[in-house]
Amino acid sequence: MDTNTIQRPRILLHDPTLRDGHHAVAHRLDADQLRAYATAANAAGVPVVEVGHGNGLGASSLQIGRAKLPDPVMLTTVREALTTSKMGVFMAPGWGTADDLRAAVDRGADVVRIAAHCTEADVTERHLGVVRDLGAEAQGVLLMSHMARPDRLAEQCALLVKFGAQAVGIMDSAGHYLPADVIERIHAITEAVDVPVIFHGHNNLGLAVANSLAAAEAGATIIDATARGFGAGAGNTQLEVLVAVLERRGFDTGIGLRAILAAADLAQERLMEAPPRIDSISVASGVAGVFSGFKKPVLQAALRAGVDPVDLFLALGERQVVAGQEDLIGDVTRQLKAAAR
Amino acid sequence: MAADERRLRVAVLGAGLIGLDLAEKASRSAELELALVAGRSRDSLGLHRAADMGYATSPDGIAAVLAAGPLDVVFDATNADSHAEHWAALRGTGTALIDLTPTGVGKVIVPTVNGAQAPAHQHLNLVSCGGQAAIPLLHAISQRCAPSYIELVSTGASASAGRATRLNLDQYIATTSAAIRTFTGTRDAKVMVNLSPARPEPPFRVAMTLLADGIRPAPVRTTIAAAADAVRAYAPGFKVTSLVVDAGRIALAVEVTATGGRLPRHAGSVDIINGAAVLLAEQYAAAR
Repeated sequence: MDTNTIQRPRILLHDPTLRDGHHAVAHRLDADQLRAYATAANAAGVPVVEVGHGNGLGASSLQIGRAKLPDPVMLTTVREALTTSKMGVFMAPGWGTADDLRAAVDRGADVVRIAAHCTEADVTERHLGVVRDLGAEAQGVLLMSHMARPDRLAEQCALLVKFGAQAVGIMDSAGHYLPADVIERIHAITEAVDVPVIFHGHNNLGLAVANSLAAAEAGATIIDATARGFGAGAGNTQLEVLVAVLERRGFDTGIGLRAILAAADLAQERLMEAPPRIDSISVASGVAGVFSGFKKPVLQAALRAGVDPVDLFLALGERQVVAGQEDLIGDVTRQLKAAAR
Repeated sequence: MAADERRLRVAVLGAGLIGLDLAEKASRSAELELALVAGRSRDSLGLHRAADMGYATSPDGIAAVLAAGPLDVVFDATNADSHAEHWAALRGTGTALIDLTPTGVGKVIVPTVNGAQAPAHQHLNLVSCGGQAAIPLLHAISQRCAPSYIELVSTGASASAGRATRLNLDQYIATTSAAIRTFTGTRDAKVMVNLSPARPEPPFRVAMTLLADGIRPAPVRTTIAAAADAVRAYAPGFKVTSLVVDAGRIALAVEVTATGGRLPRHAGSVDIINGAAVLLAEQYAAAR
């Protein structure tokens, strides 16, 4: 067994299994499922357990999908299951509002992520301020980050810090990055800010764990990962794999491997029909740079209209759609169908 | 000149994307005389641009508006948080105030629905750009069925949303959903907002979904077409781009592009709310 003598920084693993995973099951997790996984993650020493609709607070809708449970019920259920883990929530201005933030902190949210599309950090000014005023830990994240250049992302992250974010970073919402892309971006961001830097990967191109390791080596100290990779599209960075990989590389996560393997087994049994896999349309969506959460609605629309879902993903990629624009799926489907006639 | 004497003296408060275009639209109107563009910062790029365009400008905000002498109409294109102060200053002066920020405080007006009521009120609110694009159609549809739920998702190009819009997203959502409920009689309305970083910039788009029982497709389609025609009178780039009518659900989307003037094509959000504002100011002129 190889040994690592270099002292590497502690990595905080942030676990959005009960938020991002919702994309894989049409936002339909019930209270027993939430409670079971939150209990297991808490027992494994996962530092932050994030919960909510796949697109976060306030996002339950016809457009994105209606959650089985209202936000307050999800939060209360998970809060009651956590004794040492913090509870995290996610909110994108425009989908949720400050009222949702107040309700979430009331119900015990400790870490509140405010999200914006990659070049839109200035929509977060109000809400990051609200989170700080409420006394929760405020983090700022940039969605669909592959659409902006590294210097732009760094500048946007600096803005998030200016607005009050205590940690900032990027989400590879489309699973588009290669490790070199991640390293370049994390370097640019760590140079621009003096708060912890966050990386959130997706596995469309099979690189979520490799990208997360690259992010850690480049200086990110908060990495998102989910049990079995439960998440949108081809899934997220697989948490239990990342724990093992980081341990081998000499990064301390504070999470024991046996305990996290047990939590992952429970997640597979209780939360999902099958773990996420990289099917052909996941590859197409990663290459096209389309939000991973579009997978289910794209498949449904393609099936109904009799168009090829890969074509549909590539066409949506050409339109540079972002998360939240699910209303375009129907339009683009009809255009493809008309063009095929 | 006789025609000039009948023109209403107007001022624009705010020199952002909305204020600048409003100034241009007002100055082109045969019924309006643009007396002032008042910003709130000497360093404002928009104010410099307004001066370059040949308009009288001041960095002193509402104070400059009050000092500009008797005005018939002031357009508030600042920020929802500042609007109350502007109304307090103008209330009782006889000057009408048309509010383009999402406060919902004044008489809420959507021209094709209740524009005729506007001249009777001194303080108008125009909801939001998404509200101006959606409510004419939602109101028309709700005359043909009784929606139990309405959802609106508006997506604007990043470049079409200035600082105040970005700070006011919560007010935008609250004011727009309240107006949808009022104008349609629907109890449950949800509003979501996206800003798109795509290049080239996509046009302003508002997608709507209504749930209702017993929808009859033919009359719904007819009424939507008629309502859209009426909006095009002051927002020529307004277009229904998709419409799917099922027995229990109507899904439609409109896209608005800016036409004429200096606005880039994608800034249909600015074009439609400003088109409505200038139309209402002209109605004050006609009502005198």
